[in-house]
Amino acid sequence: MARFLTETIGTLSDASSLFVVAAGLTLVFGAMRVINLAHGTFYMYGAFAVTTFAGTASGLRFWVAIVVAALVVAALGAVVQLGVVRFVVGKEPLTQLVATFAVLYILADVALHLWGSGARSVSAPLGVSGTFTLAGAYLPVYDLVIIGVAVLVGLVLWLLLSHTSLGWMIRAAVDDPELLQSGGVNLRRLHLAVFATGALLAALAGAIITPQISVAPGMDQSIIVSSLLVVVIGGLGSVVGTAFAALIIGIADTVGTLVDPAWASTFMYFAVILVLVVRPWGLFGTPER
Amino acid sequence: MSRTPSSAAAAAVVALGAPAPAAPGSLASRLGRAIALVAFIVLVVVLGLTLAPANALELQYAVSLTLFAVATNLILGFGGLVSFGQGIFYGVGAYTVALGWMHQSLDFTEAMVLAPLFGAVAAVPLGMLALRTRRLYFSLLTLTMSQLAFVIAENQTNLTGGTNGVFGAMVPTWLLDPHTSFLFTAAIVAVSIAVLWKVVHSPFGLVLRAIRDNRERVEALGVNVYAHELAAFVISAFFCALAGSLFVVYSQSSYPEILNWTASGVPVFMAVIGGMYSFFGPVVGAFVYEFASHYLIEYTQDWQLVIGVVLLAIVLLRPDGLAGSLGSLRARLRRRRQPAAARPAEDLATPDDAGGRP
Repeated sequence: MARFLTETIGTLSDASSLFVVAAGLTLVFGAMRVINLAHGTFYMYGAFAVTTFAGTASGLRFWVAIVVAALVVAALGAVVQLGVVRFVVGKEPLTQLVATFAVLYILADVALHLWGSGARSVSAPLGVSGTFTLAGAYLPVYDLVIIGVAVLVGLVLWLLLSHTSLGWMIRAAVDDPELLQSGGVNLRRLHLAVFATGALLAALAGAIITPQISVAPGMDQSIIVSSLLVVVIGGLGSVVGTAFAALIIGIADTVGTLVDPAWASTFMYFAVILVLVVRPWGLFGTPER
Repeated sequence: MSRTPSSAAAAAVVALGAPAPAAPGSLASRLGRAIALVAFIVLVVVLGLTLAPANALELQYAVSLTLFAVATNLILGFGGLVSFGQGIFYGVGAYTVALGWMHQSLDFTEAMVLAPLFGAVAAVPLGMLALRTRRLYFSLLTLTMSQLAFVIAENQTNLTGGTNGVFGAMVPTWLLDPHTSFLFTAAIVAVSIAVLWKVVHSPFGLVLRAIRDNRERVEALGVNVYAHELAAFVISAFFCALAGSLFVVYSQSSYPEILNWTASGVPVFMAVIGGMYSFFGPVVGAFVYEFASHYLIEYTQDWQLVIGVVLLAIVLLRPDGLAGSLGSLRARLRRRRQPAAARPAEDLATPDDAGGRP
């Protein structure tokens, strides 16, 4: 039982941070039909920014650092949108993939100048570090923080997309952009807001996870692959699908580690391949015409 | 690619060697192209034999990458399939030679023959799977497969040597001399590219391009689109694997980084830089990319920045790549000399429209 609890909380925590990153990716795709390969870059920047802003002092400053990091990276996202992504909306996938990959390269280089090539770390503030006991299992308190943030993000996104006028504008932005524009909606500004929000979510995920990982260059390239796995399984553009898919990936990873550590990291890829064999457009996606 | 008029793009293809439909002066221009090609090959060979060993080795690597780029472009530019997974087959080729040497003490020649075959065999199930998906999903699924191949190569330490990969005397001594290995590589690449040229300009290649341009219409004509795409995927994998085995000749090693998703992106970038709608565009792209990154690493740590900016500039401003720019320049010159009616019908080799229609 204790073992089961430990694994469950660990899996949920992994799935949660993955969900927050991937939700940003899928939100941008849902509104703009752009897959942003530099999305993982925002995640890495969020994490690096926390190591800068939080310093060594923990406590309140840590939480402030997370908020500031997310906002700063959202601003960076706005710059990327205005400088690059704006020009590839509506273009073919190859153009979008190459352009956003170029952004990944450029920002990876800039990150080297800003934070160097070494690994950095931040410790969690006293209140949320350490473990608590439940049914004989020692569980990291910080896992609960991550899960809580993911649930909050999920709820806010769901409310935003299904219960506000901004939500239907985002959906209409893909279905019928011309009609939306003739209705007086500024599509460019909408895209800018959505892209900055996507960057903010990636940065938030990267910022919140800093106490559990070592922050180093290369994070951008590895997290983008996991997030792509998630959004492809879930169906591009679907936030609900993203939540399910993040869980599937998390479970695949945990089960993999338990079954055979040497093959553990391949399980999530096989999960993707399995899903796409059955539904080539993902669990909650719609077939591409 | 709708930014540039398609006629300019088509002219690029014509200029760089696509079959020019019967047009005034086409024989002369064909002859001109053939002479240019021969001159280029002679230049490369002479350079390879006279350069200092280190530079000859670098040239050899660039030459082997041209095969990787042209093979990838068979499905990318001519098939319209944006694969971020060709690094898998490059890796299969390299690891076939390396692991054959390590585990089976396979003879080098045998391994070189087996490498492309293994690449083709691996491409059958992967292609069958990946081609069930379309467009963006195809790109993302092939990217995923590439990362899977990387993870396997990295974690199965007993089989693959893990993160460090395989190093050792897997290349026979007669191939160790830089000039000999350069000639060896150049010969294999030349023959392979000639074969790929034949494929692109065969009826099969034409059907492939037709699928890229208008899938529904070709399907309605009774063509098995899936089978054609799969065949192209397998042929591409065959030559990608061959290029991978040439990587072993160059580096005498094989390691996981050659098949992760960014490595799979490299031939795509080469094709984009050089121009994916022309047959020889990726060759240009491979030389530019390889020499640029090689010399940039020597002079600056910011090679990622420079390559990123170049890619961005090309994809935003010159979607047809360097070959496309050259071609549109030529077309402009030709137009000035020729009356409109005498212009060749140029819409054979390029997508007539945005290119990426379903």
